[in-house]
Amino acid sequence: MVAARLESLPVIALLAAFGLFLCSLTNALSRATLSAPVLIYWLGLLIIALPIFFRLSSTRPSYRERLGLILLLGLALYCVKLVHDSPLYTFPDEFVHAFNAENIERYDHLYHFNPAIPTTPYYPGLEGATSALMMLTGMSSYGAGILLVGAARLTFMAALFFLFARLSGSARGAGLGVAIYTGTSNFLFWGAQFSYESLSLPLMVVVLMSFVEREASPPAGRKAWAVPIVLGILAIAITHHLTSYALAAIFIALAVLYRVMKIEKPNPWPFALLATGVAVGWLLIAARSTVGYLFPVLEEAVEAIIKTASGESAPRTLFHQASTTAETVASTPLAARAVALLAVAVLGVLTLIGLRQVWRRERGKPLVLLFCAAAVVFFAALTLRFAPAAWETGNRAAGFLFIGLAFVGIYGAAEVLTGGPNLLRRRLLLTGALGVILVGGAISGWPWDIQLQRPMRATAEGREIESEPLALAEWAGDRLDGSRFAAPGSDSRALLEPGGQIALAGQGPDIEHIVDEPQLAPWQLPLLERHHLPFVVADRRLNSEDNLRGQYFTVPGQYGDDYREKGVVHKFSRIPVGRVWHSGRLVLFNLRDRP
Amino acid sequence: MRGHRDLEWVSVAAVACAVIAALVPLELIRLVAALPLTLFLPGYALVAAAFASRELAPPKRLTLSVGTSLMVLVLGAFVLNVFPFGLTTASWAVLLPMVVIAACRAAAIRRDRPARRRSRRSPLPRPQPGSIALVSIALLIGAGALALAQKPLPAEDAEGYAALWMLPADAEEETAVVGVINNEHDPASYRLKVRLGEDKRARTYRVELDPGEERTYEIGVARGASGRTHVVASLYREEQPTHLYRRVTSWLPRQKTFP
Repeated sequence: MVAARLESLPVIALLAAFGLFLCSLTNALSRATLSAPVLIYWLGLLIIALPIFFRLSSTRPSYRERLGLILLLGLALYCVKLVHDSPLYTFPDEFVHAFNAENIERYDHLYHFNPAIPTTPYYPGLEGATSALMMLTGMSSYGAGILLVGAARLTFMAALFFLFARLSGSARGAGLGVAIYTGTSNFLFWGAQFSYESLSLPLMVVVLMSFVEREASPPAGRKAWAVPIVLGILAIAITHHLTSYALAAIFIALAVLYRVMKIEKPNPWPFALLATGVAVGWLLIAARSTVGYLFPVLEEAVEAIIKTASGESAPRTLFHQASTTAETVASTPLAARAVALLAVAVLGVLTLIGLRQVWRRERGKPLVLLFCAAAVVFFAALTLRFAPAAWETGNRAAGFLFIGLAFVGIYGAAEVLTGGPNLLRRRLLLTGALGVILVGGAISGWPWDIQLQRPMRATAEGREIESEPLALAEWAGDRLDGSRFAAPGSDSRALLEPGGQIALAGQGPDIEHIVDEPQLAPWQLPLLERHHLPFVVADRRLNSEDNLRGQYFTVPGQYGDDYREKGVVHKFSRIPVGRVWHSGRLVLFNLRDRP
Repeated sequence: MRGHRDLEWVSVAAVACAVIAALVPLELIRLVAALPLTLFLPGYALVAAAFASRELAPPKRLTLSVGTSLMVLVLGAFVLNVFPFGLTTASWAVLLPMVVIAACRAAAIRRDRPARRRSRRSPLPRPQPGSIALVSIALLIGAGALALAQKPLPAEDAEGYAALWMLPADAEEETAVVGVINNEHDPASYRLKVRLGEDKRARTYRVELDPGEERTYEIGVARGASGRTHVVASLYREEQPTHLYRRVTSWLPRQKTFP
């Protein structure tokens, strides 16, 4: 009786809220630059998830309760992301998409230039949808964005549950499958940010769910399910390039499998044709810049794989910073690395057991075969993490492949739950394994040193003070109307949003060397003139090019206190040109202001 | 739509929500109206039109309604962009109810007969007072967690700083605005010295600022003999009056060409 009450949904909701509060508290301590006990944060995450996992492993909950549990899990984990960075966007891609959304509101139309990722305005699904909420509520892009992504996330959780329940024929299995999915490395933070994939992936799962429901419907009922499928394909095509290609690939593979396996149901080739047509059509008509954006990345990834495999270049060290980031950051502790590796091992075991069961029971279903293939490819893609330029490609692919892995994992979990006499012990074992998968995924999906939030705003004597990049951005937003800047990466993101300025960074054009090098090379001023960039941000902080860490206050002895040579500032003073802003580490020059 | 009570309600709700969201100036009320209008009603109407009289379990209908609403928002932005007026509060407030009403009309036509009152409702368990209390406490704790995350906190170890800036005040550039922002943790006193061209005498201002406070000064700039005046603003901490802390410069009126 007591055990039953402890496993009830209200108690689990209370525990989830308490876990969320612990996560919020540790983030608050970190923002306050007090020593935040990171173990409390992980404990909070487990307090959210473990009771839900344990309840999902039981045979008792109804279909609706299981749905409620996974929605609670999705909501609580989404809130973990929100308490990490409220009340501002802080993830690099969020500044980019927020800038697009603000531009839509400012100019009433789509496709306005974005200097950070020029492809993004041509996939305006997320920002267009957000603009509806912004305009109808008067909210900022932040408020509207978190509501929209939150709705998408809950839709994702429910749709994945229905998809797995229909394919596996088990609500219990479906709940466990969704629980496994929360262990993908991008689930906790990256997949919850205000970015186009955070909308397109849920829409893709809605399409897949509609597809399997359509397959299970009597012939007269199939047309109805075609409506969300077609709308979803169209919406995804203008929301996110990679998701639209993934969806087209899935339908093409399904069409081939239906033909090869002689499935006695309508072949989904019309969906394959539509998905391919709109994805390619959108690429060629509206989003040609995607070719120049995506293909070099893929090319680099392939080259890196070949070089690493042939021994020409050294493999990437796991759990370490990318070599392009200059500032030294704390590496992941050994225990955390062990948990992340253990998570992969647990997933491997579940997959091995699951694949055998799936093959025995479900191999007549084409989508199930695709999921099996995705589960195997997931582990192959893990090896990309050893290739320096390919790890991100592998990481991004994981979000899609993990759907298949989570489905196969259902059968592995079922074996754990049916394999011996003591059910409670086996439920506890599975709950622990799911906890390891969740925490391991979170560790491998986000750098260790920034799992907890850093201060960007703080209070002093009851008033608010801001970090240097944020203060400059807000000042520029108030005083300079849409000016053009050359800036280090992190400063440029803040200048986009909330600054609302056009800020170029990175290597195309080569702004990075202009703002990072202490010497003024002959090519630098002509390049700035050619790109009409009169304002130049000189930032002495070494982490100013780090889009994940550069927007925050400097905390001496901890982060942000490694500096570039003084020449990065002096080279512009010596020209001489006007110094518009000076806040110590950051100096803003105006090249059009000179003797 | 007569007789299809759900479709009637949805159509009326869409129009009412659109009017409230477009016309009421209070953000919270607009939010309450805009959320169903954007995230539920269009999808509900389209799903009703697609499925007509066919049964669809409520959780699936709800999920599809939200999912399809998101699709409508994405495609709606694409459609509105085609028109010269583009994406505005008014265009969204017209488009979304139009989609809802059109889909409800299609659903009413496709449905066999007016929906009868269902005799068999899926029974939802009546929550017990204890459960209500627990869920209420959970909601309070969750809201507290989110509120804590919204609140900036003192960050004593974060390195404070002051910023000095200067811009022309107007298009003629005969006046400069110099601003000082104190982002230190404590109140601070500075001396601001502004020197114009060859004039050896600097204008000096004593600046006392609380944390997070900004003060600006307008300084008239007389044209020099060369037509351009070099304006230099220097900031000194009160306790270190000889040690230059910040400096900004400008040549007014500005050249507006690159070096």
